[in-house]
Amino acid sequence: MHGTMKRKSLSKTDPALFFALVTVWLSFAVFIFLPLIRLLLTTFIVDGALSFTNMKKVLGTGYNIRALYGSLILATAVSLSGTFLGYLFALAVTRTNLPKILKTLLGAVTILPLISPPFTSSISLTLALGPNGMLLKAFGIGDFSIYGFLGTWISETLTYFPVAFMVITAILNTMSATLDDAALCLGASRWRMFRTITIPLSLPGIGNSVLLLFGASLADFATPLILGGHTFPVLPTEAYLLITGMFDLRGGATLSFLLLVPALLVFFLQRMLLGNKSFVSVTGKNGARTEFARLPSALTAFIAVICSFLVVFILYLYAIILWGSFVKVWSVNNSFTLDHYLYVFKHGQKAISDTLLIAILSTVIGSVLAVVIGYVAQRKQFIGKRFFEFSSMLNYALPGTVVGIAYIIAFNQRPILLTGTLSILVAAYVFRYYATGIRSVIASLEQIDPALEEASLSLGASSIRTFTHVTIPLIIPAVLAGMRYLFIHCMTAISATIFLVSVRWTLLTTRILESMTELQFSQASAFSMVLIVIVFIADAIMLYLMKLSTSKFHKSQEISYEKVGA
Amino acid sequence: MNKMQKVLTLLLLVALCMAPVFAAGVEEAKPKVGGTLNVYSIMPEKYATKIFEEFTKETGIKVNFVRLSSGEALARIIAEKANPQVDALWGGPADTYEAGVLEGVFDVYVPSEAAKVPTQFKSAKGYWTGIGVIPLTFMSNAKYLKEKGLNPPTSWNDLLDPAYKNSLQMADARTSGTATERIYSLVKVMGEDEAFAYQKKLHQNIQLYTKGGAGGAMPVATGQAASGVFYIVDALDIQQQGYDLVISYPKEGVTYGVEASGIIKGAKNLEAAKALMDWASTKRLGEVMVANLINYIPTRPDVTVTNPALDMSKVKLLEAEVAWKGENRTRLVERWIAEVIQQ
Repeated sequence: MHGTMKRKSLSKTDPALFFALVTVWLSFAVFIFLPLIRLLLTTFIVDGALSFTNMKKVLGTGYNIRALYGSLILATAVSLSGTFLGYLFALAVTRTNLPKILKTLLGAVTILPLISPPFTSSISLTLALGPNGMLLKAFGIGDFSIYGFLGTWISETLTYFPVAFMVITAILNTMSATLDDAALCLGASRWRMFRTITIPLSLPGIGNSVLLLFGASLADFATPLILGGHTFPVLPTEAYLLITGMFDLRGGATLSFLLLVPALLVFFLQRMLLGNKSFVSVTGKNGARTEFARLPSALTAFIAVICSFLVVFILYLYAIILWGSFVKVWSVNNSFTLDHYLYVFKHGQKAISDTLLIAILSTVIGSVLAVVIGYVAQRKQFIGKRFFEFSSMLNYALPGTVVGIAYIIAFNQRPILLTGTLSILVAAYVFRYYATGIRSVIASLEQIDPALEEASLSLGASSIRTFTHVTIPLIIPAVLAGMRYLFIHCMTAISATIFLVSVRWTLLTTRILESMTELQFSQASAFSMVLIVIVFIADAIMLYLMKLSTSKFHKSQEISYEKVGA
Repeated sequence: MNKMQKVLTLLLLVALCMAPVFAAGVEEAKPKVGGTLNVYSIMPEKYATKIFEEFTKETGIKVNFVRLSSGEALARIIAEKANPQVDALWGGPADTYEAGVLEGVFDVYVPSEAAKVPTQFKSAKGYWTGIGVIPLTFMSNAKYLKEKGLNPPTSWNDLLDPAYKNSLQMADARTSGTATERIYSLVKVMGEDEAFAYQKKLHQNIQLYTKGGAGGAMPVATGQAASGVFYIVDALDIQQQGYDLVISYPKEGVTYGVEASGIIKGAKNLEAAKALMDWASTKRLGEVMVANLINYIPTRPDVTVTNPALDMSKVKLLEAEVAWKGENRTRLVERWIAEVIQQ
């Protein structure tokens, strides 16, 4: 009965929700469903009639089936190894007594693979571990082939574990330390505390991280393109090859639709695993805030060893790029020169300013949408909620190549004429990469007891005021984490937008790939370094904001305690 | 409460409406006919920049361009068919143009001096005109050859030598015109079935099939790979950067690619596009290429080429008609995937 009432008059009972829903659904319709439907039509309508010939043709070859398995195996491996490493790094930063300077270094170094386009690190990885690679020579290893599963796996793990690190750190930071204290006071060992408190409470973060990494790996075409070789085909790369190489848009689109199945599966699996459990630890009823308890020392040592090894390896890979940007001719004439940077600032200026503008616009718009969508999906009840949440993630689950092609097909004719504009690039980025923002908002909300919001409501605040004054301050660290990721992606991603850059709007990443294909390794390195420095600075600013907001959040908790105490 | 709702709704609407606002700006910014030209260039950026600079200097027409690989360029032109974003396609293999002709994305235009371009370097129906010719060549790392005591390969069969095991890099036929050119060459040299039997054997020595035609050039230059098959323009380019490389030709012969240019159907700056095609058909283009070390062999026989590496008098060049390439490309690539890659 209550349900029917609600259904009949949502616009009256909760007008804010109603307006939010209408607006978001409208944006989904234009920027997610329209391109997808147009692409579906391209795939399944042959000469005006429904036809499965494209599907049959694609599924008919054993190589494509192998590519499907390859994609699944790779995505599983990357999501597990990446989450594992990300968790270790997150623990190192939040739960150990390692020196502060070391923690800052860890955070700074993890960001490197994230802020450079994936193919850049793939190439320095090839130079280090490829045939005749510098590291292989140094260690005297002769017969090691990086091309295939192994190289792709290593490269993608290195590229994506920082995502896991970011998501899990945010979760570890918002846990309540009093639980640790309680466990230790009650006589539990540090191992037991870790096993029964830290791990279970970080499950939403781990789940998110696995989902995000699985999706990212599933959609990544650049890394397998460079490192997969012919022995290890994966679907997005095969789709890309079909579209750009064989001019077979239908075949490529059809292949990509196969990716939707595993993407859907992971999504529902995660819902099932985490949907019904309560992870509330921020209740507003806490006692005084204390420091998180430290991990057992054996575990700390293990974490320190793994993290240092990885940090050294990453620094080594990037040193190769840095070196490459300053030498006259790569590995032949190693004398110092600034020519490549002069070239970048002379001929790459437009690309730099375009990229920055696009990234900033996308980050702002994407974050607003992510907060609204995440909040509505986690806190509110309405019809079609699951579908709502799933729709929001759709562009992220699809390979970028397909999104790019779908956008061209959908937005190249009236009424929505967008090709060649700034807005098509912004829209592609927003609806593809706000996913991390949504996930981290949801994960963060899962830890915050709705009683806090109910209290605000019962004290007479409106739902909007509650949202802006209670919910937002509580989830700000998660929002900023999402923003960081969004901005970074807008600066570095290439798969979707390589189809969307135009004579008017160009991107740094396309220029780097360009330099690579034109064999200007040093120029590509210089472009990469410029990109890395820009993103690094922007990232430092956001990190600072995050820290600022987290301490504010701590203070607000203390205030609530005082009030309760009074 | 109402006020706050409005603020929130407004915020969302602003986010949503951002897109059309920007789109509107573009509508107004349509360039004047004759003033500006928008181009997709398959020719590498560093070459296209120099050539277009010269074109602008001589005609006053400003050129905006994006560089794309041939597959990406064609995919985009087809996708943008209803509302073309560019006026012309510049560079890239002629068989890409033939594929585009089948999709109906090119316009017929015969440039003013096209008559002086030999027939095998232009479309019979006038859809595209050749601007440069590039034969295939072998390029090897001099140090690698020396260490293994090998001579530079001078026959296709030399590449089957077990000394090259796991050390050849060449392009993937699915993405690269260089790779399909290699298959055309082999088919012309030994016949189709023999060519595939040969490639199956060659596969044993392949370290990696690269996405782009020039993708293997840097690995060969730095010694990561020993040797590969490239277009002469890519091979000379990396050699001129200072790497110790040996360029050699197979005695059985090689086919060559024709770099083309053409006008997109529905071009918004048609006159400017025609001006570019006219200019490209004159001797000027060839002279600009020679002066800037852009290593295409000009399609105009009356341009004097100074680089001895582009002297084709001692190289056995095989004829492979563009129409034949266009008709057989998909079939040959599919056979390559089925028999060579998946064996």
